[in-house]
Amino acid sequence: MWLPALFLIIGLLLGFMTNMSIPAEDTNYLSIAVLAALDTLFGGVRAQLESKFDQKVFVSGFFFNVLLAGFLAFIGVQLGIDLYLAAIFAFGVRLFQNLSIIRRLIFRKYYMRKQAKKDDKS
Amino acid sequence: MKSRQLVFALVFLVLGFLLTFSYQQTKSTAEIVQVNNEEWERDFYYRKQLIDMEEKNKQLRSELSQIRQEVQSTEQDIGEEADVLKDLVVTKSNLQKLTGELSISGDGIMVTLKDASFIPAEDHANQYIVHDRHIHQTVNELFSAGAKAIAINGQRIYRNSYISCIGPVISIDGTSYPAPFVISAIGDQEVLDVSLNLKNGVIDQLVQDNIEVTIEKNSNVEMYAKDM
Repeated sequence: MWLPALFLIIGLLLGFMTNMSIPAEDTNYLSIAVLAALDTLFGGVRAQLESKFDQKVFVSGFFFNVLLAGFLAFIGVQLGIDLYLAAIFAFGVRLFQNLSIIRRLIFRKYYMRKQAKKDDKS
Repeated sequence: MKSRQLVFALVFLVLGFLLTFSYQQTKSTAEIVQVNNEEWERDFYYRKQLIDMEEKNKQLRSELSQIRQEVQSTEQDIGEEADVLKDLVVTKSNLQKLTGELSISGDGIMVTLKDASFIPAEDHANQYIVHDRHIHQTVNELFSAGAKAIAINGQRIYRNSYISCIGPVISIDGTSYPAPFVISAIGDQEVLDVSLNLKNGVIDQLVQDNIEVTIEKNSNVEMYAKDM
Protein backbone atom coordinates (compact mmCIF):
# COMPACT_ATOMS: atom_id res chain seq x y z
CA MET A 1 0.00 0.00 0.00
CA TRP A 2 2.86 2.34 0.67
CA LEU A 3 4.32 2.05 -2.83
CA PRO A 4 1.52 4.01 -4.61
CA ALA A 5 1.63 6.66 -1.88
CA LEU A 6 5.38 6.99 -2.29
CA PHE A 7 5.03 7.30 -6.03
CA LEU A 8 2.27 9.87 -5.58
CA ILE A 9 4.63 11.94 -3.48
CA ILE A 10 7.40 11.50 -6.02
CA GLY A 11 5.03 12.59 -8.78
CA LEU A 12 3.98 15.66 -6.80
CA LEU A 13 7.61 16.57 -6.21
CA LEU A 14 8.41 16.08 -9.88
CA GLY A 15 5.52 18.33 -10.81
CA PHE A 16 6.77 20.98 -8.42
CA MET A 17 10.32 20.74 -9.66
CA THR A 18 9.60 21.00 -13.39
CA ASN A 19 9.83 24.65 -14.21
CA MET A 20 8.29 24.27 -17.64
CA SER A 21 5.34 26.37 -18.71
CA ILE A 22 2.70 25.55 -21.29
CA PRO A 23 1.06 28.17 -23.50
CA ALA A 24 -2.30 29.30 -22.16
CA GLU A 25 -4.27 27.74 -24.99
CA ASP A 26 -2.87 24.26 -24.18
CA THR A 27 -4.07 24.20 -20.58
CA ASN A 28 -7.17 22.38 -21.81
CA TYR A 29 -5.03 19.34 -22.55
CA LEU A 30 -3.63 19.44 -19.05
CA SER A 31 -7.05 19.47 -17.43
CA ILE A 32 -8.13 16.59 -19.62
CA ALA A 33 -5.02 14.63 -18.71
CA VAL A 34 -5.70 15.17 -15.00
CA LEU A 35 -9.28 14.04 -15.43
CA ALA A 36 -8.22 10.99 -17.43
CA ALA A 37 -5.73 10.01 -14.75
CA LEU A 38 -8.36 10.40 -12.03
CA ASP A 39 -10.87 8.45 -14.08
CA THR A 40 -8.45 5.63 -14.67
CA LEU A 41 -7.58 5.57 -11.01
CA PHE A 42 -11.17 5.34 -9.86
CA GLY A 43 -11.92 2.78 -12.55
CA GLY A 44 -8.99 0.73 -11.28
CA VAL A 45 -10.15 0.97 -7.69
CA ARG A 46 -13.63 -0.07 -8.68
CA ALA A 47 -12.32 -2.99 -10.69
CA GLN A 48 -10.18 -3.97 -7.74
CA LEU A 49 -13.17 -3.95 -5.43
CA GLU A 50 -15.22 -5.92 -7.94
CA SER A 51 -12.31 -8.32 -8.18
CA LYS A 52 -12.05 -8.12 -11.95
CA PHE A 53 -8.96 -5.97 -12.20
CA ASP A 54 -6.89 -6.45 -15.33
CA GLN A 55 -3.57 -4.72 -15.66
CA LYS A 56 -3.69 -4.58 -19.47
CA VAL A 57 -7.17 -3.05 -19.49
CA PHE A 58 -6.12 -0.65 -16.75
CA VAL A 59 -2.94 0.64 -18.41
CA SER A 60 -4.30 0.66 -21.96
CA GLY A 61 -7.49 2.35 -20.74
CA PHE A 62 -5.43 5.06 -19.14
CA PHE A 63 -3.39 5.77 -22.25
CA PHE A 64 -6.27 5.41 -24.70
CA ASN A 65 -8.49 7.67 -22.66
CA VAL A 66 -5.80 10.30 -22.51
CA LEU A 67 -5.14 10.00 -26.22
CA LEU A 68 -8.79 10.21 -27.21
CA ALA A 69 -9.38 13.17 -24.93
CA GLY A 70 -6.31 14.92 -26.32
CA PHE A 71 -7.43 14.18 -29.86
CA LEU A 72 -10.89 15.60 -29.15
CA ALA A 73 -9.40 18.71 -27.66
CA PHE A 74 -7.07 19.07 -30.62
CA ILE A 75 -9.94 18.73 -33.11
CA GLY A 76 -11.95 21.17 -31.06
CA VAL A 77 -9.17 23.74 -31.20
CA GLN A 78 -8.82 23.27 -34.96
CA LEU A 79 -12.56 23.63 -35.55
CA GLY A 80 -13.08 26.38 -33.02
CA ILE A 81 -15.54 24.26 -31.01
CA ASP A 82 -14.98 23.37 -27.37
CA LEU A 83 -14.98 19.63 -28.05
CA TYR A 84 -12.77 18.92 -25.06
CA LEU A 85 -15.85 19.64 -22.98
CA ALA A 86 -17.23 16.33 -24.26
CA ALA A 87 -14.23 14.51 -22.83
CA ILE A 88 -14.48 16.39 -19.56
CA PHE A 89 -18.17 15.62 -19.36
CA ALA A 90 -17.65 11.92 -20.06
CA PHE A 91 -14.81 11.67 -17.57
CA GLY A 92 -16.73 13.59 -14.95
CA VAL A 93 -19.84 11.44 -15.26
CA ARG A 94 -17.79 8.28 -15.13
CA LEU A 95 -15.84 9.61 -12.19
CA PHE A 96 -18.97 10.13 -10.14
CA GLN A 97 -20.45 6.84 -11.29
CA ASN A 98 -17.31 4.97 -10.29
CA LEU A 99 -17.22 6.79 -7.00
CA SER A 100 -20.81 5.84 -6.17
CA ILE A 101 -20.18 2.24 -7.13
CA ILE A 102 -17.05 2.17 -5.00
CA ARG A 103 -19.00 3.62 -2.11
CA ARG A 104 -21.70 0.99 -2.46
CA LEU A 105 -19.17 -1.79 -2.73
CA ILE A 106 -17.38 -0.63 0.40
CA PHE A 107 -20.66 -0.43 2.31
CA ARG A 108 -21.64 -3.88 1.16
CA LYS A 109 -18.29 -5.28 2.23
CA TYR A 110 -18.63 -3.57 5.62
CA TYR A 111 -22.12 -5.00 6.16
CA MET A 112 -20.99 -8.44 5.05
CA ARG A 113 -18.14 -8.31 7.53
CA LYS A 114 -20.51 -7.21 10.28
CA GLN A 115 -22.93 -9.96 9.34
CA ALA A 116 -20.11 -12.48 9.44
CA LYS A 117 -19.10 -11.26 12.90
CA LYS A 118 -22.68 -11.55 14.10
CA ASP A 119 -22.90 -15.00 12.65
CA ASP A 120 -19.70 -15.91 14.42
CA LYS A 121 -21.03 -14.66 17.72
CA SER A 122 -24.38 -16.34 17.44
CA MET B 1 -0.06 -8.45 -6.34
CA LYS B 2 3.24 -6.65 -6.49
CA SER B 3 2.93 -5.75 -10.18
CA ARG B 4 -0.56 -4.51 -9.57
CA GLN B 5 0.72 -2.18 -6.92
CA LEU B 6 3.40 -1.04 -9.33
CA VAL B 7 0.84 -0.21 -11.95
CA PHE B 8 -1.17 1.73 -9.41
CA ALA B 9 1.97 3.46 -8.30
CA LEU B 10 2.71 4.44 -11.87
CA VAL B 11 -0.74 5.93 -12.31
CA PHE B 12 -0.37 7.73 -9.02
CA LEU B 13 2.96 9.06 -10.16
CA VAL B 14 1.44 10.41 -13.34
CA LEU B 15 -1.54 11.81 -11.45
CA GLY B 16 0.62 13.54 -8.90
CA PHE B 17 2.82 14.97 -11.56
CA LEU B 18 -0.12 16.25 -13.54
CA LEU B 19 -1.83 17.72 -10.47
CA THR B 20 1.13 19.69 -9.28
CA PHE B 21 2.11 20.63 -12.77
CA SER B 22 -1.31 22.04 -13.58
CA TYR B 23 -1.37 23.68 -10.16
CA GLN B 24 1.85 25.49 -10.95
CA GLN B 25 0.56 26.26 -14.40
CA THR B 26 -2.57 27.94 -13.10
CA LYS B 27 -0.53 29.77 -10.48
CA SER B 28 1.80 31.20 -13.12
CA THR B 29 -1.07 32.23 -15.37
CA ALA B 30 -3.40 33.21 -12.58
CA GLU B 31 -3.98 36.70 -13.86
CA ILE B 32 -5.30 35.39 -17.14
CA VAL B 33 -7.18 32.36 -15.92
CA GLN B 34 -8.72 33.72 -12.79
CA VAL B 35 -10.74 36.47 -14.36
CA ASN B 36 -14.12 35.30 -13.25
CA ASN B 37 -17.43 36.56 -14.45
CA GLU B 38 -17.88 39.18 -11.81
CA GLU B 39 -14.48 40.64 -12.37
CA TRP B 40 -15.09 40.58 -16.05
CA GLU B 41 -18.31 42.43 -15.62
CA ARG B 42 -16.61 44.99 -13.42
CA ASP B 43 -13.86 45.33 -15.97
CA PHE B 44 -16.44 45.83 -18.65
CA TYR B 45 -18.23 48.41 -16.50
CA TYR B 46 -15.05 50.37 -15.91
CA ARG B 47 -14.10 50.12 -19.53
CA LYS B 48 -17.47 51.46 -20.52
CA GLN B 49 -17.08 54.25 -18.03
CA LEU B 50 -13.68 55.02 -19.47
CA ILE B 51 -15.06 55.11 -22.98
CA ASP B 52 -17.89 57.34 -21.85
CA MET B 53 -15.41 59.58 -20.11
CA GLU B 54 -13.23 59.77 -23.17
CA GLU B 55 -16.18 60.54 -25.34
CA LYS B 56 -17.21 63.28 -22.98
CA ASN B 57 -13.65 64.50 -22.93
CA LYS B 58 -13.58 64.64 -26.67
CA GLN B 59 -16.85 66.50 -26.77
CA LEU B 60 -15.67 68.95 -24.17
CA ARG B 61 -12.43 69.42 -26.01
CA SER B 62 -14.22 70.27 -29.24
CA GLU B 63 -16.47 72.59 -27.28
CA LEU B 64 -13.41 74.21 -25.78
CA SER B 65 -11.81 74.77 -29.14
CA GLN B 66 -15.05 76.19 -30.43
CA ILE B 67 -15.26 78.55 -27.50
CA ARG B 68 -11.65 79.52 -28.00
CA GLN B 69 -12.41 80.37 -31.58
CA GLU B 70 -15.36 82.44 -30.47
CA VAL B 71 -13.20 84.22 -27.92
CA GLN B 72 -10.61 84.94 -30.56
CA SER B 73 -13.14 86.33 -33.00
CA THR B 74 -14.67 88.39 -30.21
CA GLU B 75 -11.27 89.73 -29.30
CA GLN B 76 -10.65 90.57 -32.91
CA ASP B 77 -13.98 92.34 -33.04
CA ILE B 78 -13.12 94.25 -29.90
CA GLY B 79 -9.76 95.20 -31.35
CA GLU B 80 -11.39 96.40 -34.53
CA GLU B 81 -13.95 98.28 -32.52
CA ALA B 82 -11.15 99.91 -30.55
CA ASP B 83 -9.48 100.89 -33.79
CA VAL B 84 -12.72 102.28 -35.12
CA LEU B 85 -13.26 104.06 -31.83
CA LYS B 86 -9.78 105.53 -31.96
CA ASP B 87 -10.39 106.67 -35.51
CA LEU B 88 -13.65 108.14 -34.43
CA VAL B 89 -12.01 109.92 -31.52
CA VAL B 90 -9.34 111.35 -33.81
CA THR B 91 -11.93 112.39 -36.35
CA LYS B 92 -14.06 113.92 -33.64
CA SER B 93 -11.20 115.91 -32.21
CA ASN B 94 -10.24 117.03 -35.71
CA LEU B 95 -13.78 118.12 -36.39
CA GLN B 96 -13.96 119.83 -33.03
CA LYS B 97 -10.79 121.70 -33.89
CA LEU B 98 -12.33 122.68 -37.21
CA THR B 99 -15.58 123.87 -35.64
CA GLY B 100 -13.75 125.62 -32.85
CA GLU B 101 -14.72 123.53 -29.90
CA LEU B 102 -11.06 122.78 -29.29
CA SER B 103 -8.05 125.03 -29.48
CA ILE B 104 -5.98 124.64 -32.61
CA SER B 105 -2.43 125.61 -33.47
CA GLY B 106 -0.13 125.14 -36.40
CA ASP B 107 1.51 126.67 -39.43
CA GLY B 108 -0.30 129.60 -40.87
CA ILE B 109 -0.13 133.10 -42.21
CA MET B 110 -1.16 136.42 -40.83
CA VAL B 111 -2.62 139.05 -43.06
CA THR B 112 -2.69 142.56 -41.69
CA LEU B 113 -5.12 145.03 -43.20
CA LYS B 114 -4.44 148.63 -42.31
CA ASP B 115 -6.21 151.80 -43.27
CA ALA B 116 -4.24 153.91 -45.64
CA SER B 117 -1.99 156.19 -43.66
CA PHE B 118 -2.16 158.95 -46.27
CA ILE B 119 -5.50 160.26 -47.38
CA PRO B 120 -5.42 162.93 -50.13
CA ALA B 121 -7.58 165.88 -49.21
CA GLU B 122 -9.74 165.74 -52.29
CA ASP B 123 -10.86 162.19 -51.74
CA HIS B 124 -13.36 160.89 -49.28
CA ALA B 125 -11.86 159.03 -46.34
CA ASN B 126 -14.30 156.20 -46.94
CA GLN B 127 -12.24 155.09 -49.86
CA TYR B 128 -9.13 154.66 -47.74
CA ILE B 129 -10.31 152.56 -44.84
CA VAL B 130 -10.84 148.89 -44.43
CA HIS B 131 -14.45 147.85 -44.87
CA ASP B 132 -16.20 144.70 -43.79
CA ARG B 133 -16.34 143.54 -47.40
CA HIS B 134 -12.57 143.57 -47.55
CA ILE B 135 -12.42 141.34 -44.62
CA HIS B 136 -15.13 139.17 -46.13
CA GLN B 137 -13.14 138.86 -49.29
CA THR B 138 -10.00 137.93 -47.46
CA VAL B 139 -11.70 135.47 -45.17
CA ASN B 140 -13.56 133.85 -48.04
CA GLU B 141 -10.41 133.61 -50.08
CA LEU B 142 -8.56 132.03 -47.16
CA PHE B 143 -11.37 129.55 -46.53
CA SER B 144 -11.58 128.58 -50.16
CA ALA B 145 -7.81 128.14 -50.21
CA GLY B 146 -8.20 125.51 -47.55
CA ALA B 147 -7.58 127.35 -44.31
CA LYS B 148 -8.40 125.19 -41.35
CA ALA B 149 -9.22 128.02 -39.01
CA ILE B 150 -9.33 131.78 -39.20
CA ALA B 151 -9.27 134.43 -36.53
CA ILE B 152 -9.54 138.14 -36.75
CA ASN B 153 -7.61 140.05 -34.12
CA GLY B 154 -7.53 136.83 -32.18
CA GLN B 155 -11.30 136.25 -32.46
CA ARG B 156 -12.05 132.92 -34.01
CA ILE B 157 -14.39 132.85 -36.98
CA TYR B 158 -17.00 130.13 -36.76
CA ARG B 159 -19.51 128.72 -39.19
CA ASN B 160 -22.15 131.10 -37.94
CA SER B 161 -19.93 134.12 -37.34
CA TYR B 162 -20.80 137.42 -38.85
CA ILE B 163 -18.66 140.35 -39.72
CA SER B 164 -20.35 143.70 -40.06
CA CYS B 165 -19.37 147.27 -40.37
CA ILE B 166 -20.27 149.60 -37.57
CA GLY B 167 -18.96 152.99 -38.65
CA PRO B 168 -15.20 153.04 -38.23
CA VAL B 169 -15.05 149.69 -36.46
CA ILE B 170 -15.95 146.19 -37.43
CA SER B 171 -18.09 143.96 -35.34
CA ILE B 172 -17.30 140.28 -35.25
CA ASP B 173 -19.96 138.27 -33.49
CA GLY B 174 -20.87 141.35 -31.57
CA THR B 175 -17.36 142.34 -30.54
CA SER B 176 -16.02 145.50 -32.11
CA TYR B 177 -12.51 145.79 -33.40
CA PRO B 178 -10.79 148.81 -34.80
CA ALA B 179 -8.23 148.80 -37.58
CA PRO B 180 -5.69 147.38 -38.12
CA PHE B 181 -7.13 143.97 -38.57
CA VAL B 182 -4.91 140.95 -38.24
CA ILE B 183 -6.46 137.98 -40.01
CA SER B 184 -4.63 134.86 -38.99
CA ALA B 185 -5.29 131.61 -40.79
CA ILE B 186 -4.05 128.11 -40.09
CA GLY B 187 -3.39 125.98 -43.14
CA ASP B 188 -0.87 125.27 -45.83
CA GLN B 189 1.26 128.47 -45.85
CA GLU B 190 2.30 128.18 -49.49
CA VAL B 191 -1.20 127.57 -50.77
CA LEU B 192 -2.69 130.38 -48.70
CA ASP B 193 0.03 132.80 -49.71
CA VAL B 194 -0.21 131.98 -53.38
CA SER B 195 -4.00 132.14 -53.48
CA LEU B 196 -3.97 135.52 -51.76
CA ASN B 197 -1.37 136.85 -54.20
CA LEU B 198 -3.09 135.72 -57.37
CA LYS B 199 -3.14 138.25 -60.18
CA ASN B 200 -6.31 140.28 -59.82
CA GLY B 201 -6.79 138.39 -56.62
CA VAL B 202 -7.70 139.53 -53.18
CA ILE B 203 -4.47 141.38 -52.42
CA ASP B 204 -4.55 143.23 -55.75
CA GLN B 205 -8.10 144.35 -55.12
CA LEU B 206 -7.28 145.40 -51.57
CA VAL B 207 -4.31 147.38 -52.78
CA GLN B 208 -6.48 149.03 -55.43
CA ASP B 209 -8.82 150.01 -52.59
CA ASN B 210 -5.85 151.77 -50.95
CA ILE B 211 -5.42 149.37 -48.11
CA GLU B 212 -2.04 148.56 -46.74
CA VAL B 213 -1.68 144.82 -46.74
CA THR B 214 1.14 142.83 -45.17
CA ILE B 215 1.42 139.10 -45.24
CA GLU B 216 3.66 137.26 -42.91
CA LYS B 217 4.14 133.57 -42.36
CA ASN B 218 3.95 132.30 -38.86
CA SER B 219 4.92 128.79 -37.98
CA ASN B 220 2.90 128.72 -34.79
CA VAL B 221 -0.48 130.28 -35.02
CA GLU B 222 -2.61 129.54 -32.03
CA MET B 223 -6.34 129.85 -31.66
CA TYR B 224 -8.35 129.13 -28.57
CA ALA B 225 -11.50 127.20 -28.24
CA LYS B 226 -14.87 128.81 -28.32
CA ASP B 227 -16.19 129.80 -24.93
CA MET B 228 -19.14 127.58 -24.41
